[in-house]
Amino acid sequence: MKKLEEVLQDWEAVIGLEIHTELTTLKTKMFCSCPIEFGAEPNTHTCPICLGMPGALPVPNKAAIESIVLAGLATNCDIEKRSMFYRKNYFYPDMTKNFQTTQGPVAFCMRGHLDLEVFGAAANERHGLGSLEVGESSDNIVRTEDGYVASVGITRIHMEEDAGKMVHVGGVDGRISGATHSLIDFNRCGVPLIELVTEPDLRTPAEARLFMQKLRSIFLAIGISDCSMEEGSMRCDGNISLRKRGTKEFGTKTELKNMNSFKNLHDGLAYEICRQAEVLESGGKIQQETRHWEPANKRTITMRVKETADDYRLFPEPDLAPYDLSDEFIDNVRAKLPELPHEKQARYMAENGLSRSDSALIADDVAYARFFDEALKVDASMAKPVANMLVNEVAAHINATGASFDELKIDPAGLIGLCKLIAGGTISNKQGKQVFAEMVVSGESAESIVEAKGMKQVSDEGLIEGIVDEIIAANPDKVAAYRGGKTGLSGFFIGQVMRQTKGQANPKVVNELVIRKLEG
Amino acid sequence: MVNEFVAMSVAQITSGIKSKDFSAREVVESSMRAIEALDDSIHAFLQTTPEMAFEAADRIDEKVARGEELPLLAGVPAAFKDNMNQLGTRTTCGSKMLANYESAFTATCVSKMVDAGVLPLGKLNMDEFAFGSSTETSYFGRTFNPWDLERVPGGSSGGSAAAIAAGLATLTLGSDTGGSIRQPASFCGVVGMKPTYGVVSRYGVVAFGSSLDQVGPFGKSVEDVAYALNALKGRDPLDCTSQHIETDFLANLGQGVEGMPIGVVPEFMEAEGLTDEVKSAMAKAVEALAEMGAEIIEVSLPNAHASLSAYYVIGPCEAFSNLSRFDSVRYGNRVPSTELGDQYEKSRADGFGSEAKRRIMLGSYLLSSGVYDKYYYPAQQIRTLITQDYRKAYEKVDAIILPSSPRTAFKFGEVSDPMSMYLSDIFTISLNIAGNGGLSQPIALGSETGLPIGAQIVGPQFKDENTLRVAAALERYFGVSTLAPIVQGKSKEVRA
Repeated sequence: MKKLEEVLQDWEAVIGLEIHTELTTLKTKMFCSCPIEFGAEPNTHTCPICLGMPGALPVPNKAAIESIVLAGLATNCDIEKRSMFYRKNYFYPDMTKNFQTTQGPVAFCMRGHLDLEVFGAAANERHGLGSLEVGESSDNIVRTEDGYVASVGITRIHMEEDAGKMVHVGGVDGRISGATHSLIDFNRCGVPLIELVTEPDLRTPAEARLFMQKLRSIFLAIGISDCSMEEGSMRCDGNISLRKRGTKEFGTKTELKNMNSFKNLHDGLAYEICRQAEVLESGGKIQQETRHWEPANKRTITMRVKETADDYRLFPEPDLAPYDLSDEFIDNVRAKLPELPHEKQARYMAENGLSRSDSALIADDVAYARFFDEALKVDASMAKPVANMLVNEVAAHINATGASFDELKIDPAGLIGLCKLIAGGTISNKQGKQVFAEMVVSGESAESIVEAKGMKQVSDEGLIEGIVDEIIAANPDKVAAYRGGKTGLSGFFIGQVMRQTKGQANPKVVNELVIRKLEG
Repeated sequence: MVNEFVAMSVAQITSGIKSKDFSAREVVESSMRAIEALDDSIHAFLQTTPEMAFEAADRIDEKVARGEELPLLAGVPAAFKDNMNQLGTRTTCGSKMLANYESAFTATCVSKMVDAGVLPLGKLNMDEFAFGSSTETSYFGRTFNPWDLERVPGGSSGGSAAAIAAGLATLTLGSDTGGSIRQPASFCGVVGMKPTYGVVSRYGVVAFGSSLDQVGPFGKSVEDVAYALNALKGRDPLDCTSQHIETDFLANLGQGVEGMPIGVVPEFMEAEGLTDEVKSAMAKAVEALAEMGAEIIEVSLPNAHASLSAYYVIGPCEAFSNLSRFDSVRYGNRVPSTELGDQYEKSRADGFGSEAKRRIMLGSYLLSSGVYDKYYYPAQQIRTLITQDYRKAYEKVDAIILPSSPRTAFKFGEVSDPMSMYLSDIFTISLNIAGNGGLSQPIALGSETGLPIGAQIVGPQFKDENTLRVAAALERYFGVSTLAPIVQGKSKEVRA
């Protein structure tokens, strides 16, 4: 199969996403007061309503409506004041009523968009970028210095209820084919979901991945979900079709499922684009179907072929009155809208001089951003060193230990204390890393660790000079070799000095003195 | 008489219990004897719940003994249509599909009645899932009209109406989607009321047409029905279509109709199939109202003729979806199969009767893509027009009087094709479409058939007190007995 870059020379990929997000931060389900809890004992969070027992009626959860309006406001959507719930009728055992309560043509949120900043390697997948001048636009993108900005349309965000979870037993890998029977856990039945549908505005797997990342960081910032792709509280399906470059008509699309990580989203889409190109180039036709991404085998396989369009017999849900959201309600929700990640990022760059990548890393993660904002309140002048610590030491520690941010025994004032010790030359950068490693585990202050370990950096030139002189005097052959051209030997002298001072000598001072003496 | 409380009103029973003339336990004993004696002939009950009734009676009697205040309906024997969930009972909806279905919770209307002190006697027969106007489609056999055992009691709440006419209960509850309270009330010569949509909670009542269904009471008199409505009314947090209702429905029953503008609808009096005896009885009722001082005004409901069409689009669509849950997976009739789709099909084919299947198929077709726009959408537009017709009419009048049914009770099997059966609801259906409340009350025995004829009083939305006020005046004027002759006749046999 051809490589993605090669395929995208001849073909334009048209990608739209459908993203389901469970509103996991709500306390109760969409239409009843059963608690929402991931991983609870099966069928313990159920009642006549979510079990669809005869005679039960739905009562909408107001907090869920607030969440979806918040999501709409955060993604530049128009909030439709008047919308309704509909019934989507189909038979499946995980659906207790055999209809799903969802929304019709008018959803709570319509016509939104997100702007994606695509730069670095991610920008390379976009075809024809090289022919654009900075500031020049083409289709939905504008060229920037190191990439481009793509505006991605959001068709709608609607509210619906989740189905139960089926576990197929007796087959391979829990697959339904070959299973002898199925178990159903209705705890998830009736959990509120929002489904965001994008316009077919995405052109590369990298853009799809960035869109998903950006959306996830927004949803985390507004606190409507834990957005766990692994646990399935945020799920993404892709619709992909190809068309020859220069043509306008959409090709036949396939729907791709099981892309439960950012990497899988990218790789699954990339594979599917290449597969479709191969089929088309060998004279074949794309079958409209749902495909399943297999990360282990790095391929997509047919899941379900749709010969006819499903007829869900959608009609207005008569048990729920149409919604008439008041301006007051919408304003109250708007007032709860926090500063969004891209706004934070812009602020960190403009006000605190952070680089684009550092500011993005911090702004996109709720815990990092909260910590950083608190640090700014303590001492804004330390913004850059604190940011450095966050994206390097803190991130490395979290990656290595798997600890969550909240488990770190370090607060903004403490980290600023450490940064000040380094900035003031009391300890070296290297010592700073050691002190940090202590701090996050013990919770001691940087000052007391430095004190206790006698780690204070020695910058006294006179003291260091004496040691340098001693070492030069003790190694005349090496001095001669250095002066004969083996300048790499300076490292030996520096190392000796550091060893003698137990690493506490200021490396900058040592370096200068050693070179000066050897050259002299 | 088997049941010495048969002739008593709600007020007489509650005051008799309060003043210790008799105990609630005696009321249950007497009611159970009556059911035993008569219900073999009537078949109003699908199950009786004597233990629950005695338990409730003991609670009342203890309160009396302790001199505590009694609830509104203390000691009143009552029974519920079998589409109303009640813990400790089966709720079958008259269907094989739910023949063994045990309620998982109690419907709000049932718990409100029980909280108000009624003695729950049991569950009442009905057309399968409330699809029908004769109670002939019940999987558990038909109910017989106490006035003539060869005739239907009407439907779908046939058991609820027949139980009142036969003196088996003082109050019963029914549900009305297109006339299912008012038409059987008319056929059995009792008072039956469908309040405005939203007055009574639907929570726990197995849904037929969610936007059309409304729960209401049956009784021997307008006052009894008003008592029940006072207990039933009001906002239920579990039904978001229910409304806050502050009205005391007993308050203005004695006010009369002097000076009250009351509407008649000339085009309805020309309706196809309207029999002469009903027509003349209606004319007398209108005369009576005029004689009592009401101002009779002709009003027009120009779109009401389309009610039946709109109803047979909206009703089946909602029913199709509401009945989808009966799939044999967790409960209900199951014909096992190794293949899921096959099990669905077989279980539903075996569990539903032919009228239920007809409506499910109709709804499934009407909602399918391409068809939806042609039927469902226009039906909703018609619904709006009919609602506007009523609203406009009520700018001129405080209530409207209509026939309840074109004719008196028909014989079993007499109306066999579905279309003719559907036509028996022509006078009641427009109210469900518009959401307004209405009541059927007996005004005469037919000059030809000798069977009860009902008049329907219809009020503006959430003005159900108007309806009751007019009905109470007519009741005083005509003084029609609501107990079928069988009550007397049969009781003699039992004593002998």
